[in-house]
Amino acid sequence: MVLANLGKRINGAVNNALSNTQDDYATSVDIMLKAIVTALLESDVNIALVSKLRGNIRNKLLDKSAKGNRSMTNAQTKKLIHKTVFEELCDLVDAKETQVFQPKKKKTNVIMFVGLQGSGKTTSCTKLAVYYSKRGFKVGLVCADTFRAGAFDQLKQNAIKARIPFYGSYTETDPAKVAAEGVAKFKKEKFEIIIVDTSGRHRQEEALFQEMIEISHVVKPNQTIMVLDASIGQAAEQQSKAFKESSDFGAIILTKMDGHAKGGGAISAVAATKTPIIFIGTGEHIHDFEKFSPKSFVSKLLGIGDFEGLMEQ
Amino acid sequence: AFGFLQRKFLGNKTIDTNDLESVLDKLRQKLVSKNVAPEVADYLTEQVSRDLVGSKTANWTSVENTARESLSRTLTKILTPGVSVDLLHDIQGKLSHKDKDGKKQPYVFSVVGVNGVGKSTNLSKLAFWLLQNKLKVLIVACDTFRSGAVEQLRVHVENLAQLTDESHVRGSKNRRGKSGNDSVELFEAGYGGSDLVTKIAKQAIKYAHDQDFDIVLMDTAGRRHNDPTLMSPLKAFAEQAKPDKIIMVGEALVGTDSVQQAKNFNDAFGKVRNLDFFIISKCDTVGEMLGTMVNMVYATGIPILFVGVGQTYTDLRTLSVSWAVNTLMS
Ligand SMILES: Nc1nc2c(ncn2[C@@H]2O[C@H](COP(=O)(O)OP(=O)(O)OP(=O)(O)O)[C@@H](O)[C@H]2O)c(=O)[nH]1
Ligand SMILES: Nc1nc2c(ncn2[C@@H]2O[C@H](COP(=O)(O)OP(=O)(O)OP(=O)(O)O)[C@@H](O)[C@H]2O)c(=O)[nH]1
Ligand SMILES: [Mg+2]
Ligand SMILES: [Mg+2]
Repeated sequence: MVLANLGKRINGAVNNALSNTQDDYATSVDIMLKAIVTALLESDVNIALVSKLRGNIRNKLLDKSAKGNRSMTNAQTKKLIHKTVFEELCDLVDAKETQVFQPKKKKTNVIMFVGLQGSGKTTSCTKLAVYYSKRGFKVGLVCADTFRAGAFDQLKQNAIKARIPFYGSYTETDPAKVAAEGVAKFKKEKFEIIIVDTSGRHRQEEALFQEMIEISHVVKPNQTIMVLDASIGQAAEQQSKAFKESSDFGAIILTKMDGHAKGGGAISAVAATKTPIIFIGTGEHIHDFEKFSPKSFVSKLLGIGDFEGLMEQ
Repeated sequence: AFGFLQRKFLGNKTIDTNDLESVLDKLRQKLVSKNVAPEVADYLTEQVSRDLVGSKTANWTSVENTARESLSRTLTKILTPGVSVDLLHDIQGKLSHKDKDGKKQPYVFSVVGVNGVGKSTNLSKLAFWLLQNKLKVLIVACDTFRSGAVEQLRVHVENLAQLTDESHVRGSKNRRGKSGNDSVELFEAGYGGSDLVTKIAKQAIKYAHDQDFDIVLMDTAGRRHNDPTLMSPLKAFAEQAKPDKIIMVGEALVGTDSVQQAKNFNDAFGKVRNLDFFIISKCDTVGEMLGTMVNMVYATGIPILFVGVGQTYTDLRTLSVSWAVNTLMS
């Protein structure tokens, strides 16, 4: 899974640093940091973030050690290093300030999906609809993608399989219009959650972003979710920042986590937009969908055994 | 001060590893920031080092500029295909052979890749390009898994039929009772498992032969390159359908995983078969971060046939290597 062997590599780097008796502490820390930096870059974490992280870890380690490294045992040093790395990584994926939207029963909650082409929006829309439907909400799906060939058929077939009511049009070409109609229809029928799927777009094409803003104006979402592919590389930061500015999304769904990708690009998007990941997609089927928690995510990626009990200190 | 100037700028200096270290570090960082995978960036800078250590800088040239020039050459070498990519020539060659009934065997393409990278869209762009070259194209829906995959191709066939013939009425059937017109048609058999996929592929090729199509374009379902149960049917598929060209679509947005994606797809067809080409899609979404194409070609040595630069039929370009190298070096 994501960052699968990052934990192992960081552990290796830490152990090497500790068994190194030739160099002084600061030199060992730098050698170790170099290995950690490489591991992070190979996981697609944004290059600027990596150098910031390196600085932070270095400061923390050298600062603490200045006070008492002579008296610290190897085990204590190891724990300190692990804890520091763990906290810094958690900081990256943890968008603490933000309040995650919770839909309310007996009210209309509109959720709009946005994201790059092919990231997994349409698939994730249905997954989220099923998730809420299982929790007793009355959920409807609206296809406001009038651009992609076969978009409505895709959503329709998914919705039928999942037994979720849906709305869309084969003839209308204005996505804002379809979105407005769909939301109005479901509102009238007292649906509690209305999920609006939109076309894929990217920051380089302004007209597409304008269209997203227009749809947003008419559907007035209570929550906008950006869908990100876990395999995205260095472009993640710029794209997600641009989406944030235009759509002010309040949550991220990270897809294709069943793949081999390391997910560092997506982590960078979280850091760049201060927006939390709320769900991850782990496959092409409706139920391949999990809630996301930053702490357990980082523990997992670092190899949980070695990090247990760290946070209790 | 003059000595410093001479060393740094006036050239004719023998380069050693120390001179190069910080320069290469800088270049490596630049490559990584452009989405070149670290292992590929390491390889590239090692090449530069091998190229330059012990050599002399040219007059008026700093070590840094000398290293940049060397890196440009290395990138150019990687991205320049070692084989001919004159597809139309290849296609005409095959089509000119007629069997005893005076019929030709269609030229078969299949498009493969991970989920959502742009296989179906770029297959349709490829169809448009072939149609412009006056070839008759059969588009085959071998993605029998993903919702809407068949309907997606039907919409493309309708669009392409309209583009080749303004009088085409959307949704109308051609003289064979199928979606499309005389030049472009959809071959589909709905949804189902992987047995269905090979069945459709074989039937489609026979049909194309009987109906005198020049080209068969087979779309396939997106699949995770790290899942053997999804990857292994590819081998059987290729053995049965025997495509003339297997094209992998890789997307420019993907980061370091692009290396493994390319390797795994290239290995998926067994020992005797490789990928033939890449199409690198979504190049319009990454700005200057063109590293993915370097990663995929580095990993496999497979050449790039086209790059995708947008969502319409004309957004398919031959890669300009000098443009790509300049963008990566800027
Ligand atoms: N393996 C895997 N595949 C996924 C996941 N989520 C989506 N996919 C696949 O990714 C591909 C693209 O998904 P879509 O839902 O069509 O993406 P989209 O963002 O709606 O695409 P556009 O509307 O064209 O922008 C499809 O083949 C999906 O089956 C996931 O979590 N894991
Ligand atoms: N900007 C841009 N978008 C592209 C390009 N190529 C494809 N797309 C978009 O990417 C999305 C996914 O394209 P598809 O052709 O459905 O991808 P696929 O690989 O067939 O997807 P699956 O069959 O679900 O695996 C669509 O929204 C396309 O319009 C490109 O070159 N540039
Ligand atoms: Mg979609
Ligand atoms: Mg497809």
